[in-house]
Amino acid sequence: MRYFLQRFAQLLIVFGLVSFGVLLVMRIGSNSPEELAIKLYGGRPLSPDELTEAISRYHLDTNYFVQYFYWLKGLVIDFDLGQSVANSRAVADLLKPRVWTTVLLGLYANVFGMLIAIPVAVRQAYKRDGRFDKAAGLMTFVGVGVPAIVLGVLLQLLFTVKLGWFPLIGDKIYPWDDLGQHVRNFFLPTLTLTIPVAAIFARLLRAEMVLTLQSDFITLASAKGVSPARVLWRHALRNSLFSIVTAVGTNLGALLGSAVVVETLFDLDGLGSQLVVSVLSSDLFTVQSFVAIIVLLVVSVNLLVDLAYALIDPRIRQMRSLG
Amino acid sequence: MTTSVVSSQPADRAHERSWWQRLPKGGVLFSILWLGILVFLVVFADYLSFIRDPDAKVRVAGRLQSNYKLGPGYSAWFGVDGNSQDVFARCIYYARNSLQIGLASTVLGLLIGGTLGVLAGYFRGWIDRIISILIDCLLAIPALVLAVMLIFRLDDIKATWTFLGWMTRKWQIIMTLSILAVAPLARIVRAQTLSLREREFVTAARSLGAKNGRIITKEIVPNLVPTMVTVAFTGLGILIAAEGALAFLGLGLTESWGFQIESNRRRLEKAWWATVFPCLMLLGTVMAFNLLGDRLAKRFDIREAAV
Repeated sequence: MRYFLQRFAQLLIVFGLVSFGVLLVMRIGSNSPEELAIKLYGGRPLSPDELTEAISRYHLDTNYFVQYFYWLKGLVIDFDLGQSVANSRAVADLLKPRVWTTVLLGLYANVFGMLIAIPVAVRQAYKRDGRFDKAAGLMTFVGVGVPAIVLGVLLQLLFTVKLGWFPLIGDKIYPWDDLGQHVRNFFLPTLTLTIPVAAIFARLLRAEMVLTLQSDFITLASAKGVSPARVLWRHALRNSLFSIVTAVGTNLGALLGSAVVVETLFDLDGLGSQLVVSVLSSDLFTVQSFVAIIVLLVVSVNLLVDLAYALIDPRIRQMRSLG
Repeated sequence: MTTSVVSSQPADRAHERSWWQRLPKGGVLFSILWLGILVFLVVFADYLSFIRDPDAKVRVAGRLQSNYKLGPGYSAWFGVDGNSQDVFARCIYYARNSLQIGLASTVLGLLIGGTLGVLAGYFRGWIDRIISILIDCLLAIPALVLAVMLIFRLDDIKATWTFLGWMTRKWQIIMTLSILAVAPLARIVRAQTLSLREREFVTAARSLGAKNGRIITKEIVPNLVPTMVTVAFTGLGILIAAEGALAFLGLGLTESWGFQIESNRRRLEKAWWATVFPCLMLLGTVMAFNLLGDRLAKRFDIREAAV
């Protein structure tokens, strides 16, 4: 329990520092509150009334710490993230429908990534240095390194242009609205994100499994007559799965980075594609809040990973509560 | 990423093998060939007759080949794009930017990240704590999101702070990408330094009265070189991919593979070549660096070589 409180405090500190840093990066480089207000409103000239209103609303005449305090208060208490200039809507309204696209993509990529990676890696570790191991090793190596744009474009060429299975212009449809359409629209983006994730998981799990299979308790299990399948799938896999659980957390940043590219490529309206649109129209409020929300996602998933880690393995729970 | 243990070739029999058997195998051979040819073409692009001027319009028998008219073939190896420009020539010329940006940002990232990592790992205490928090914060922002944000803001900050006027778009990208490289590099170097500083030769140097500065430069840093070189190769691949992604999103250079992909991808049905060849160039280059990095990681037995 102490360990979790510690981790929680640590993650809160990281989130606080990062979101303050983001605010600083967004607002630095203006000589006066008036100039900053104009920038925050997208660079169009403001009338004196609007100017005073903007400055008092966002406390722009104070220092950055006070501004940060009010921004944080807006985020936590009334979910007021400021006004998006491009669509003249509240940032919160812009944000809510888009979070789901990105969250779903990330979820699918991790779930399917595990579903693909586990059997492949187990088979690889079982017949180590065999033909399957070598072929899968090459494929996962390519999968880890392939840039998201390249993979996305090549998949689009194959499945959309040559085979015509999926629509070229994507649309954001959620499973609770229309499941069939949702699958059609999310299949290719999910596949583009899943392949690298599956490859990373498979490589980590294979390496871990190879080590686990050499340990004493596996030899013991085989010696006392446990069937090879059971040794492989129960004893060895269970003790190697932690590498994947950790990788979910460490890989999340890269995954969300690819999601930016993939959402843009497949015209899915998500956090990433909206971030790029907002950047290109220099919409400071939106960019700031979107980055903060993405960081919040990363930080909370990492906390969940830590929790899951300790839940799976009683040894770790005990060890950490002692130390 | 954890690398698997490989059985190394017996080195003492090297003289018995003929030269083609001593060539590097598989992936490394591909990397060296790909990068060698690419660098040769990039360096001598201006003098080689088969590489057109990237902005010149392609004409066959005096007729302008506009709007993707010419597919891959003898007169234009990778076909022409919508502005009747040679895709092959553009791929080669744009490789200049990708390689330059990748190299420059890797070197910058190594310098900053390496320094931070060594300081944190060697001195420990509050220096370590501050640097570790900084690394944690940088790692909490997805790399591409950070890059998008920084490049966007650098434009504006440059306008206010005139002393940054020297920063062209290319420099902005180099600076941004090197910041991306800092956090992972610093973490790896820190971990290595932590274990190195407990080794006997460091204790020996210290007991002989060597100062911290000397121990770091003469004892620690030379032992970090294999790790840094390995990570640099893997990092180069990742940073070149990131440069492509930025250009694809419209935030990088327009003279880049990523922007070529972006500007031609809507016409994938009509002219696959204008999109696919830049993709393949990007893929090949990234893979070549990754393969070299992977080989070096196995050679030096470095486990955490992923950036």
